[in-house]
Amino acid sequence: MTAMTAPTGWSELSRYRQLLLSLTWRDLRVRYKQSVLGIAWAVLLPLSMMFVFTFVFTRAIDATAVLNIDMPYALFAYTGLVPWTFFSVSLGGCVNSLVSNRNLLTKVYFPREVFPLSSIGSALVDFMIAMSVLGALMVYFHWTGAWTCTIRLVWLMVPVVVAIQIMLTIGVGMLLAMGNLFYRDVRQIFGVSIQLMMFLSGVVVPVPNDGSMLAWVISLNPMVAIMAAYRDCLVFGRSPDPISLAYAATFAVVALIVGWVCFRRASFRFAEHV
Amino acid sequence: MSVASVEVNGVWKQFCLGKAHESLGDWVSGRIARLFGSARPAAPRERFWALRDITFSVDRGEAFGIIGPNGAGKSTMLKLLAGIFRADEGRMAVPGRLAALIEVGAGFHGDLTGRENVFLNGAILGMNRAEIKSKLDAIVAFAGIERFLDMPVKRYSSGMYARLGFSIAAHVDPNVLLVDEVLSVGDAVFRLRCMEKMRELICAGTTIIFVTHNLEQMQMICENALVLDAGAVVYRGASRDAIGHYLEAMTHAPTTLQTDVVSGAGADGEVVALKGLGFLDEQGRSVVTLASADAVRAQISFELRRPISQLVVELNMRASTHENVLSFNSGRDARHFEGRCGLQTVTLELPSLPVAGGQYFWNVRMWDAESGETILDTPLSFPVVVDDAGRATGRFVLEHTWSHSELHGPPSAKDRDVVMGSRAPAEGSRENMLLR
Repeated sequence: MTAMTAPTGWSELSRYRQLLLSLTWRDLRVRYKQSVLGIAWAVLLPLSMMFVFTFVFTRAIDATAVLNIDMPYALFAYTGLVPWTFFSVSLGGCVNSLVSNRNLLTKVYFPREVFPLSSIGSALVDFMIAMSVLGALMVYFHWTGAWTCTIRLVWLMVPVVVAIQIMLTIGVGMLLAMGNLFYRDVRQIFGVSIQLMMFLSGVVVPVPNDGSMLAWVISLNPMVAIMAAYRDCLVFGRSPDPISLAYAATFAVVALIVGWVCFRRASFRFAEHV
Repeated sequence: MSVASVEVNGVWKQFCLGKAHESLGDWVSGRIARLFGSARPAAPRERFWALRDITFSVDRGEAFGIIGPNGAGKSTMLKLLAGIFRADEGRMAVPGRLAALIEVGAGFHGDLTGRENVFLNGAILGMNRAEIKSKLDAIVAFAGIERFLDMPVKRYSSGMYARLGFSIAAHVDPNVLLVDEVLSVGDAVFRLRCMEKMRELICAGTTIIFVTHNLEQMQMICENALVLDAGAVVYRGASRDAIGHYLEAMTHAPTTLQTDVVSGAGADGEVVALKGLGFLDEQGRSVVTLASADAVRAQISFELRRPISQLVVELNMRASTHENVLSFNSGRDARHFEGRCGLQTVTLELPSLPVAGGQYFWNVRMWDAESGETILDTPLSFPVVVDDAGRATGRFVLEHTWSHSELHGPPSAKDRDVVMGSRAPAEGSRENMLLR
C-alpha cells in the first residue's frame, strides 16, 4: 500500500491542462455571453479608457506639457492601458477565483492552481486581441503623420516582456486568491490598491524620473519597468533598459516561486475554509 | 483472487467548531492588544473528530456502501478519498482515475449550453477533449436530453440537470467512482437506470463507493458496507447485516424521532399547532425504534386555536420514496373528533406494524370535516425506524407458516401440497387493522 502523496505542482498540473483550457474558455464564454458586442469588449474597454484619459489630459486640462510625453498622448495611454488591463483584470479574477468557485472547490478535486491560472488565461486572450488593435492604431498615427514607426526586430522582445508580466501576475494572483479565501478583506484592499498602482506604474501618466527619493521608491514597482519596456519595444522600436527589465524579471520570478509555493502548501486547507 | 483497490488505513479527520477564521480586523486588533500586553489568552478553539480511526478496503470491481445517520462522517470520508480534504492522520490509497460524484452537476455553469457543459464537466472530471467527443452521444443519450443539448442549462428542469450530471460522471470510465447520495434526485425510472448503469460499471471492473440513506438501493448493489456513527466505524462487513447496525445507530442519532417531535412545533398551522408525535409500547413506555412484531400506540398531541366539531386526523407512514406504505384516516373509519381549544391528544392503536425493517417517515394531516378545510399537513416528516429482526426483504412482514410432506409414488397435481405461498392467520385484530 502506498501512502497518498501530496500531488506535486507542475506534473499534476500538466495532466490537467485540458481542464485549465476548459475553465479559461468558460470564463471567456461566460464573460461575453448575452452581450451584443461580445469579444469586441476586449478592445473596446482599453480603447474607451484611452478616450477618457485622452480627453482628461489633453482637453479638460492640457497637461501634455507637464506630463512631458514624447509621443501622441492617445498612443501613450493605449500602450499603457492594454497591458495594464491585462494585469488588473487578471488579478481581479484571481482574487475571486477560489471564492467564486466554491462549488467546485468543495465538490471536486483537481489542482487548485487552475482557478487563478484560468482567470489569467482568459485575460490573456483579451490582451492578445487588444494588442493586435495596437498595430492598427500605430498605422493610423503613422498615416496622420503624428508618429512614425517601422517594424523592427526589437518587437521580438515583446513576448519576453509579456512572459515577465505573466510570471508576476501568477505569483501575485495566487497570493491574492489565497489571501481572499482566508480573509475577505483582501478583495476590498485589492480594489483600492490596484487603482493607486495604476497611477504609480506609468500607465496613463509617466512616473516621476527626477532622481528624487520618491522616484526611486516608485521605480521599485516592477510594473514601471514592464510598462516602459512595452513602450520602448513597440513605440520607440528600441531595446528596453536591460537593468530595470532584469530587475522586473527577478522580481517576477521570486513572486512566482513564493506565490506558488505558499499556494500549494495551503491548498489542502482551501476546501475547509472557503 | 481479488485485488484491493481502495485502501483506507487508520484515518482521522478533525474539524474546528465555530468560526473557521477570524476577520483581518480581529487579527490586527488581537495583535495590537498583545503588543500592549493586555491580550487575554486566546480561547482554545473547539475541535471535534469528524472521523476516528477509519479502516477499510474495497476490492477492485466491488461496490461498497457507506451508511450512517446524518453527521456520521460519510461525506467527509468521500471527500477525503476524493482528495478534497486531507486526513490529519492515517493513510489512503486510491489508485487510478477517480471520479467523485459528490453533487450532480457540480461545476455546471448555468449560462452554458448542455453541450458546452458536457465538455466543461468532462474536463473537470479528468477527461480530455477527444475522449469527451467520442462519448458525447452516449452521455446525451443516457441523460435523454438530445433535444435540449444546445439550450443553456439554467433552463433545464432539475431532473434534466441531474440526469446530465450523472451521465457525464458515469461515462468517465473511472477506476473508482464515489457516489454521494445523488440518486435521490430524478424520477423513479431514472433512478433505476442509474442503478443499472452502476451495475454495468461494476461488471466492467469499476470500484464504486456509495453513500446513501436508501438502504434498499445500497443492498441492491453493494456486497459490503461500512456503518459509521459519530465518526467511528460501527460495523464493517456484509451489507445485509449492515442494516441492523445502521438501525441501531439511528436510534441514538440526534436526528431521530424524539428531537424531531420537539421541532414538530415548526409544523405550525393557523388553526392547529402540532406539538409532537410519539410512540408508546404496550407498557406505555416511549419507544424510538418500532419493532414490527409488537403492538404500538401512536400519540399525536396538538393545540387547537379554535374549536373544531368534526376533526379528522390522518397518519401516513411513508417509505423514503415518499410513497405511502400505510395510511390511517379517522374519517374513513367514521371517527370524527370533537376538539375544543387547547391541548389535545389523539391516539392510534396498532396491534403490530407488519412492514419490513428500514426507515420510514410519518406525515400527519388534519381536516375540519365540516368545512372540508385542511388545517394541517406536516411538511416535515417524522423519521422512524422499524426493526423487523431481519425477517423480510420485501415490503411487508406477514405471519406465515410453512409445511412440508413427503410424496409417495409418482407426483400428481392433486398431491402437490407443498405450501408455496404464505398467508396471515385470520386473526381478528390484524384483519381489522388492514381493512381500515
